[in-house]
Amino acid sequence: MLDVGRHPNIKLMAYSEVEEVNGEVGNFRVKIKRKARYVNEDKCTGCGACSEKCPTVVPDAFNEGLSTRKAIYTWFAQGIPSTHTIDTEHCRQFQGKKCGICQKVCQADAVEYDQKDKFVELSVGAIVVATGYEVFNPNRIPEYGYKEIDNVVTAIEFERLLSASGPTGGHLYRPSDLKVKEEVPALEKSLKKLSKALERFEKKYGQKSEEFYKALGKEEQGNDPDKAKWAEAYEQKEEVSKRLSEYKAILEKMDVAKKLAFIQCVGSRDIRFYPFCSGYCCMHSIKEAIIANEHEPETNSVIFGMDIRAVGKGFEEYKIRGADHSSITYVRGRVAEIIQLPDKTPVVVYEDTMERVVREEPFDLVILATACVPNKGTKELAGILGIELDRFGFFRTTQANPVDTTRPGIFVCGCADSPMDIPESVAQASAAAARAAQVIVETEMKKAS
Amino acid sequence: MSRDILVIGGGIAGIQAALDLAEMDFKVHLVERLPSIGGKMAQLDKTFPTNDCAI
Repeated sequence: MLDVGRHPNIKLMAYSEVEEVNGEVGNFRVKIKRKARYVNEDKCTGCGACSEKCPTVVPDAFNEGLSTRKAIYTWFAQGIPSTHTIDTEHCRQFQGKKCGICQKVCQADAVEYDQKDKFVELSVGAIVVATGYEVFNPNRIPEYGYKEIDNVVTAIEFERLLSASGPTGGHLYRPSDLKVKEEVPALEKSLKKLSKALERFEKKYGQKSEEFYKALGKEEQGNDPDKAKWAEAYEQKEEVSKRLSEYKAILEKMDVAKKLAFIQCVGSRDIRFYPFCSGYCCMHSIKEAIIANEHEPETNSVIFGMDIRAVGKGFEEYKIRGADHSSITYVRGRVAEIIQLPDKTPVVVYEDTMERVVREEPFDLVILATACVPNKGTKELAGILGIELDRFGFFRTTQANPVDTTRPGIFVCGCADSPMDIPESVAQASAAAARAAQVIVETEMKKAS
Repeated sequence: MSRDILVIGGGIAGIQAALDLAEMDFKVHLVERLPSIGGKMAQLDKTFPTNDCAI
């Protein structure tokens, strides 16, 4: 990443989108929209003083919403470029409220609220499309309870939980416990407020709230609005303190997740959604189970799949290593349903097809290996580029020309073409780069002759 | 006739393609929709089968 930022032959245009493409191989004219960041890229030093002081807190998309960021932010800590960006949907200044804090604290004078989108026109000889993929939304499979059951997460969310730079610093806490932990400060605050209110009443009437409430008749409460308020505050305080002690009991017992279930083929190899195999998910789940076991050696993982596809250099050995050294069990079977116990423990209902038994097994955390599906913007980009999509919505290529799109001079690589893992994406990227170079040289030679 | 090349997308594939072309001495314009490059791979903790760090 760093190399891209400083290579003299690369002009990096982040936070930008392709708007228009005309012309033909050797001579495409491209219009690019450079979206306004409202921060001057040349002036911003990436010091972060603005985000520190920004009062608006929003879910962090880079961490899959498992943590928060500010309305002025960097995509992630090591991001290139490190220029901050204002999220106008949430920024108080752009929502018509009084703020302007980031502009005041910026020592580089880089915050520019009046910045406008800029358009750049380029002339290029060839185009490489590497727009990637997105993960399948498991909400489409209601029996897996994603978003309803807190301790069911997607593989990419799990990846953020495992990451040392992620929301939990790499500690594998269950999202249900994290939610409780997050709510405690607000509850404590409201308890403090209610206690103060009760104190005021107690002083005014010279009676303990508890005694007052016990002696209180329903009619009396209705007659005196002041006493009705007192009673209400007392009831609220009782409820809040009960919930708080419940939450504190949960937090006292809070431990990292040690029993993990990985569910394969969520959205892929499923005729209801995508019939293809996403290719990388089996290895991805094995890797996540191995890393979780490295973090906490007591961790046991079960990977539920129709079969484990470990096709690639060193992959089968990796799978066996996972079973031998990282406490992974592979179960052949498709998970029918995930249910939740009152203590938020997810229970996986599945058929072990080797033993022909239907079983229910509780886990600390369930991870869904979601399918690799076309990015939302793919269709629109295909229209702009004038290239075709295949029946699933990836860019169309043929087996004989695996990086050529349907328009000469435009090439595709990585998961924009079809699901593939990192080594394959890198190999295809080099192939697409070589094809792009080739057509340019060919066009030059034709012109010269 | 232009020798410049446009790469759309700054994930691992786009980064690799851009670097390859830049090393071949082509001028590359790398366009990324999000505020910084890195793509999905930057979100990963480690990569299989070597458990190397993704970033």
